[in-house]
Amino acid sequence: MSKPRVAIFDFACCEGCQLQIVNLEEEILDLISVVDVVEWREAMSEQSEEYDIAIIEGSITRPEDEERIKDIRSKAKVLIAIGACATMGGLNKLKNNFQDLEEVKKCVYKDSASMPHLETSMTKAVDEVVPVDFKVHGCPIEKEDFARIIRSLLLGKTPEVPNYPVCVECKKKENVCRWEYGEICLGPIIRAGCGAKCPSASYRCFGCRGYVDNPNVDAAVDVMDKYGLTVDQLKSKMVLFGSKQGPTL
Amino acid sequence: MSIKKLSKDVFKSFVDALIASDQQVIGVKEKVQAKGNRFAFDNLQSADQLRLDYDITLLPPKKYMLPQDETLLTFKVAGESKSKIDNSKLILIGVHPYDMIAINQMDELFSQDQQDNHYMTRRKNITIIACDVATPSKNVFASSMGTATVESGFDILLTDIGDAYVAQAGTDKGEKLLAKASGAVNASDDDLAKRKAIQDKNKDALNKHKLNCKPSDLPGLLEKAYDHPVWEEKAKTCYSCGSCNTTCPTCYCFDVQDQVNWDLKTGQRERSWDGCLLENFANVAGDHNFRKPREARFRHRLYRKGKYVPTKIGGQIACVGCGRCINGCIPDIANPVAVYNRILEDIKPD
Repeated sequence: MSKPRVAIFDFACCEGCQLQIVNLEEEILDLISVVDVVEWREAMSEQSEEYDIAIIEGSITRPEDEERIKDIRSKAKVLIAIGACATMGGLNKLKNNFQDLEEVKKCVYKDSASMPHLETSMTKAVDEVVPVDFKVHGCPIEKEDFARIIRSLLLGKTPEVPNYPVCVECKKKENVCRWEYGEICLGPIIRAGCGAKCPSASYRCFGCRGYVDNPNVDAAVDVMDKYGLTVDQLKSKMVLFGSKQGPTL
Repeated sequence: MSIKKLSKDVFKSFVDALIASDQQVIGVKEKVQAKGNRFAFDNLQSADQLRLDYDITLLPPKKYMLPQDETLLTFKVAGESKSKIDNSKLILIGVHPYDMIAINQMDELFSQDQQDNHYMTRRKNITIIACDVATPSKNVFASSMGTATVESGFDILLTDIGDAYVAQAGTDKGEKLLAKASGAVNASDDDLAKRKAIQDKNKDALNKHKLNCKPSDLPGLLEKAYDHPVWEEKAKTCYSCGSCNTTCPTCYCFDVQDQVNWDLKTGQRERSWDGCLLENFANVAGDHNFRKPREARFRHRLYRKGKYVPTKIGGQIACVGCGRCINGCIPDIANPVAVYNRILEDIKPD
């Protein structure tokens, strides 16, 4: 059996998720023993127009990006979105909170705002433009998670993606609940899979893996009351990754 | 079985000697991350770290018999498989009576029918030094459940009587271990009276939430409460985060997944804690979820504790009143006593 041809492309992002693949280090040798990587800008010079699996990092933020992702989709049999920018728009969706993108451009780029390469449109997650077959969540992705999902797909098996909140992994690690410290932790409504990294390092959950399929909004409102906090305070914590977020499955 | 008295110094030397031996020694330690006193079972490096005055641990000691994640076997795809059994020996110091009773229940459940060798092997290799509660935790209700003190299951049971511990051997293994405590003396009638006073006090005092019926009334009560409004009342603010499951000493459900290696020919079968409050817990083939509504899952946990599991273990109620589910529930809906008492407002037990 010939090895599937894999191409890794980046859109608007920090390229940290690709870096996580690079961070597989010696395991990259295992990866290339089962797939043929034909394009990966961050790690190699070669390019290719022929591939079976396209791995997409980053969100779609310009009209020409839409054309590019559609072209990639038309060539790939399977398309995998990796990282919060690709799976749900990520931090780039912060700008969608503003109505006037000309103002946003001026605020960010000052005098250069009119340069043609800085043309911008409302941010979209990859699946808002083309169909996505699988998502690897996180900001950044977990390299082990990426490796596991790739191996599952190569076996023709649907990868398991948790549909339970971060609290499961956090409790398993015996962390003291961030709510006990009076913090607004998003753990109870955010998809697990990270191993509760932030709460384990004494930070609240920022929500980078997106909401679980069915987050309990009623509970969130009720809990705010119970802790003497407001819904606006909750919303302010959700804006970083949760701005205009679509379903993450 | 002997009952000895170990002065605090003798006890400390006893624990340090155990740590110096070839066995792994686990005890209750203060959790450094925590604000205020929060405790966890962890490796002991010195007897000084042991905090038998703790109120409650974040997780119950079940993590040593049924780890959060474990490899059950290794396999070749379409080939043979090999069980992975953990034979390591350890000593667990500081198990409270309610947790001991939970372990006794799990021992019974995991040895029924198809015995779980992974659990049972670990369990047989664990020596348990239990201890009576010295500081009640903020949500404990063991007195309501009849689990404030314990009669069996432990190898040694300690009771802090002030300047010393009374140590009762519960098994031959405990007897032999206790014999190694140099400087221990036989407990006097006076020591035993002090111990009895502490245990009698705990039988009433570990009761921050009072159940308005006998635990043995619960199966009959639940028989009539399946459609009671309490399930929806409570579950409407349930995050389905499963914290009531993960922190529960008697929740033992798990999920099993196969993972393959890069050769795509070999792999591991892994088991991890699961919880009946989690949305996909009852998801089966064809993506069918037979317990989809939040309130159905919320109800299921309380039925497991008060009705279903008791039929498997001779009527014992599978809630031991530790209160960890209450501590761990952000919207504060998990309290079993609040739920059962709410039902009791409308329905009388038989």
